[in-house]
Amino acid sequence: MEQLLAALFQLFEPTHLAFLFAGTLLGLIVGILPGMGGTSGLALVLPFVFTMEPSHALAMMIGVLAPTTTSDTFPAVLMGVPGTSGSQATVMDGFPLSKKGMAARALSAAFSASLLGGVFGALILSISIYYAIPIIMAFGFGEQFLLVVLALLMVGALTGDNLFKGIASCFLGLIIGSIGTAPITGDPRYTFDTLYLLEGVPLVVVGLGLFAIPEIVGLLDAKGSIAKSLNTKKGWFTGLKDVVKNWFLVLRCSTLGCLVGALPGLGGTVVDWIAYSHLKQTTKDTSQFGKGDIRGVIAPESANNAKEGGALIPTLIFGIPGSGNKVLLLGGFVLIGIEPGLDMVTTNLDLTYLMIWSLAIANILGAGICMGFSSQISKFTLVPYYILAPVMVCLIFFATFNFNRDWYDFIGLMSFGLIGITFKNFGWSRPALLIGFFLSTKVELLSYQTQAVYGLSFLTRPVSIILIILCLATIVLLTKQKFDKYYRSDFVKGKLTQIYYNIILLCLPLSMIWFTINLDYRANLFPISLSLIAFFLLTFILIIKIADLKNLSFLNYTIIKFARSNIFEIGGNFKIQIYYYLSFIGFLLMNFIFGFPIAAALFINLFILFHNKKAYVSSICISAALMVILWALSSLLTLQFPNGLIGLFIDLPWWLGGQLN
Amino acid sequence: MSLFSFVSVSSADVNFSGKTITWVVPFKEGGGTSRFARFIQPFLKKYLPGNPDVQIMHIPGGGAIKGSNYFEKNAKADGTFIFGCSTSVIVNVATGNPLVKYNLSEYRPVVLLPQNTHWFTRSDLAEPHDLSKIKERKLVLYALKTPASADLFHIWIYDKLGIKGAKPIPGLSSSGGYQAFLRGEIHLSSHGAANYVKKVKPEIEKGKVVDLMTLGIIGSDGSVSRNPLAPNAPTFPEMYEKVNGKKLEGDDLEAYYAIGAAWSQASKAMMLPKDASDEIVKAYRDAAIKMTKDPEFKAKAEKALGPFPLIIGEEAGEIIKKAAVFSDTTKKQLNAALKKHKFTYRVQ
Repeated sequence: MEQLLAALFQLFEPTHLAFLFAGTLLGLIVGILPGMGGTSGLALVLPFVFTMEPSHALAMMIGVLAPTTTSDTFPAVLMGVPGTSGSQATVMDGFPLSKKGMAARALSAAFSASLLGGVFGALILSISIYYAIPIIMAFGFGEQFLLVVLALLMVGALTGDNLFKGIASCFLGLIIGSIGTAPITGDPRYTFDTLYLLEGVPLVVVGLGLFAIPEIVGLLDAKGSIAKSLNTKKGWFTGLKDVVKNWFLVLRCSTLGCLVGALPGLGGTVVDWIAYSHLKQTTKDTSQFGKGDIRGVIAPESANNAKEGGALIPTLIFGIPGSGNKVLLLGGFVLIGIEPGLDMVTTNLDLTYLMIWSLAIANILGAGICMGFSSQISKFTLVPYYILAPVMVCLIFFATFNFNRDWYDFIGLMSFGLIGITFKNFGWSRPALLIGFFLSTKVELLSYQTQAVYGLSFLTRPVSIILIILCLATIVLLTKQKFDKYYRSDFVKGKLTQIYYNIILLCLPLSMIWFTINLDYRANLFPISLSLIAFFLLTFILIIKIADLKNLSFLNYTIIKFARSNIFEIGGNFKIQIYYYLSFIGFLLMNFIFGFPIAAALFINLFILFHNKKAYVSSICISAALMVILWALSSLLTLQFPNGLIGLFIDLPWWLGGQLN
Repeated sequence: MSLFSFVSVSSADVNFSGKTITWVVPFKEGGGTSRFARFIQPFLKKYLPGNPDVQIMHIPGGGAIKGSNYFEKNAKADGTFIFGCSTSVIVNVATGNPLVKYNLSEYRPVVLLPQNTHWFTRSDLAEPHDLSKIKERKLVLYALKTPASADLFHIWIYDKLGIKGAKPIPGLSSSGGYQAFLRGEIHLSSHGAANYVKKVKPEIEKGKVVDLMTLGIIGSDGSVSRNPLAPNAPTFPEMYEKVNGKKLEGDDLEAYYAIGAAWSQASKAMMLPKDASDEIVKAYRDAAIKMTKDPEFKAKAEKALGPFPLIIGEEAGEIIKKAAVFSDTTKKQLNAALKKHKFTYRVQ
């Protein structure tokens, strides 16, 4: 108790509050940008947090994470586009309300529900910390192994539109994660004798590539500004009253959010739908749902903020992430030298409390800012995307380079960017890939550790049995709900491209087997087993796809129907997205020649002017502001930016890419 | 780079006024070596002639090899570049990692910060300071991150103490290993001094855990004394004598000194490049000695750096040589232990 209060006082030191506030602002912004969520936001701050004190870094990271599911309501209500995957259900009633001219009511109800849900989540988290020690002690290697495997399967089953493609994505992530030094023997796997691959691609680079880049090209493809018109003046008070009136619903959905969040692997992607369907099942008059019932906003919004508190439980005590953004949070823990597990509830308890308070305060702060400055913030959604996009690309490049100061990371970034774009367009699961990638080493080690301590007997330990039952039940329940409606993909264009892509994916497991087959069995058993499973899954998916294309009759059996649903994805305009992607590669080449600061200024101007020749005032102002910020950062943090070839020939100030004194 | 060795600098000329000193740390921010550097940083600025700015440059990656190679290639010998070294940097050299391009044994150390290792077990498995019950067990599990690290020394130590059942659980960090130990999944565990005080001492007081031994503090004359944090626990040489009935000597003693130098005495170090002149080395060492007398340093050092006094001066160079260059007999000893436990990894 004493420590709990001490952590609160620590948080109220000006520096802590400043970091928390900065994080919250960034979280709000990435929440507003459709598609960008906590994962991209954290990936952007991670390269900077490791220069900070752990407590500052934690305040900032939690600050980024907590309010994304608050501000994501802006696009959901105003434009009918979810700001993050956690607000998909909010669109159902939020957008109709806004069309009826009740946007302000919907927003204020959503923000206050978010606030209450978020604080409730923090409360549950702080209570469960008290009971964590016996739980940690009951989870030996075997139980942890099961927990990780179950988390992976659940993510795979639930984040993909197609069950099999989701699970295959998981396995592909596991295979990519096994690239590098084999943890048992130290043999290099799939590294082609490079030091870069020996370490494996850094998590931050993978996160930025998989999430941020595809969203940016996706939005550029979708064109135009985020929102078209705004009317958020009246109705704020009504929204607050709605929440007060529905307090019990808020409480129920918050509890639900916490529970679902705490199930490892479930994380944020389904919690809003679960809350929404809970609301439907417990309401007598469902006639207004989908047409603008305020309860349809309150339920998912309280649940998706409450899930953060719940999701931090397995993250803190087992180091098992429940969603993509928790993967990056765990990556951040590694950077600042915190190891999840027993320490978090014993020697590092002060840091845990600091996180809990940060979570609560960031939620309050986030909702407060959203309400207080709603008209200003909603103007943010009017900024055309061709102005936001180049700035975001510069930010991503900057973050990538600052992480390791290694040019190779750009190759990693662009490769994972391409994987992200194709995954998104062709309906493979990016969260599953990221979580597989992150957990790969852990799965491999736990399988050896379990084998050494228990053999197979771990399966008969009581906690293991409970875990297996829990997982099977969840998967059956949720997949049933999810695949109730399957669609046939008659109208999908470009099926052949997706089939070719499937064949390209097959190369990964095959080449992994090829390159590791001659290693010691302790080094290749894991990647080869994974590759075999992935190979069979991918082949199965390929067969279904071809059968679907040819419209073969055996597809009409019920079980096959299940596999067939969503086997093809209706992506965006893939060609245009690739075209934007190539412009980022152009930016990379400019970096190589001119160094980062000059290339960034050039890129921003070229990109904006290419889309709108009249926008030269904005392009010049933005690039000038960026230069000033870069200059300030370089002198404050003694940062050196990627320097280009030009620095070898022309005498430049060192922060512009000149020689270091 | 060799140009600098022709420039003679008399000790009065050593003045870093207006210069910036770059301290290359081949690890991430927040790690032990980074914390060590950060703690020393302000004192260095205070006591080096000319009060230069000291900036810490972190170059993590490749198991510390990337940053170490960077230092070897780019460091100027004029005293404006210093290197933050640790056990893993040394072990990379000592075990002959082919990616290593730095010649650590010729570097000029300024300050060494010693550490010490404690071994302990559960109270239901053994009496305090007594290995006999452990030796009778068929299976004695212990945590081992990877054999290509300082953890390699565990394999040798358990081998020399005749713990036949010793079997490593791979891929466990010291903290993860300690957690598994508390859960009862592994039998032998170890920790460095700081975590020993913070995490293990409370469990010993509760009666759940008992001390077995410590690595021992190696003096400059080669004598080994007990660790003041666990004064009743025998040192490894004492335990060796008790178990084997003969004094630790010959090849075994040589290996122990090499391991002790790398693992314990030179746990963290601050070094100058090999071409740094004697005057520059002296200026740095003088600054370090002044630092240890600073009242602020005295007040904070024990909490930040641990209970063991810094090693400054010529002695430090000898320790680094011993730690970084393993003799053929020591390598043979380590490889024999690796082979016995079916590791494919070998010290080169």
